[in-house]
Amino acid sequence: MAERIKDAEDRLLESMFASPPLADDGFSVRVVRKVNRRLWLRRLTLPIATIIGGFIAFKPLSGLVAVLSSLSSLIPTDTINMATSSIPQFQTVVLGAILLAVCLLSTRLLDN
Amino acid sequence: MVSSQDTAAFGELVRRHQSHVRNFLRKLSGDHTLADDLAQDSFIHAWEKLQTYSGRGSFIGWLLKVAYTTFLQSKRKTKRYAEIINSAGHVADQESRSQVLPDDEITDLEKFLAVLTEEERAIMVMSYACGLSHREIGDATDLPVGTVKSVIFRGKEKIRNSFDIKDHNHG
Repeated sequence: MAERIKDAEDRLLESMFASPPLADDGFSVRVVRKVNRRLWLRRLTLPIATIIGGFIAFKPLSGLVAVLSSLSSLIPTDTINMATSSIPQFQTVVLGAILLAVCLLSTRLLDN
Repeated sequence: MVSSQDTAAFGELVRRHQSHVRNFLRKLSGDHTLADDLAQDSFIHAWEKLQTYSGRGSFIGWLLKVAYTTFLQSKRKTKRYAEIINSAGHVADQESRSQVLPDDEITDLEKFLAVLTEEERAIMVMSYACGLSHREIGDATDLPVGTVKSVIFRGKEKIRNSFDIKDHNHG
């Protein structure tokens, strides 16, 4: 109310609206306790979600790796020899790329 | 400036401002228990939004904005809840009807506040009880300063018309 001049009515209203300061009575302690609880929950959420996600994803991921390795055995050896001569460790690169894609995808899902 | 990780410093801020925020919400809601619950929520929201406080304007002004938003959100939730209960065929005990003080405990201020709309009440309390400037009230309520001034003028007029304020011997 600094930008206007107070008249008698304003002063009367101010005195009627005024109330004595409230004692803390553990209010701030309760708020800080709640805030701390939230902070811990937030800190723990991501690691726990990662562990649970990893646990859930482990079985299908290992199955995927097994399928990919069996698929690679179907590729004719000539093709593999040709590929390995031009691209070293072709299987490992493909497998690594797939795993990287899966990891990135799961990280994004976890973030969401 | 308090970082969002420094809970001890935030606790000091709560201690310093809790009386203002609780009094503001008590006058706004007319219910002490509800007001204290809302004040707790307001401080938690404030802690989560601390980085949005730019330092422009007073901290108490920003805090009261958070408290007012929390109050409005709570009102909206309560209203929605009452609607659901009503639509389910139950008799909903309206919002704060059970929380309103008995007639003999109603103070003069509460009688004055009762003639005002929710917005008028919030603005009048911010102005006369919390001592916020018109600009700070405008920031807190997302209203232009001109609107704040006219709401205060209207509120005063309502109080003047409903009660003989000049002859009123308060206290």
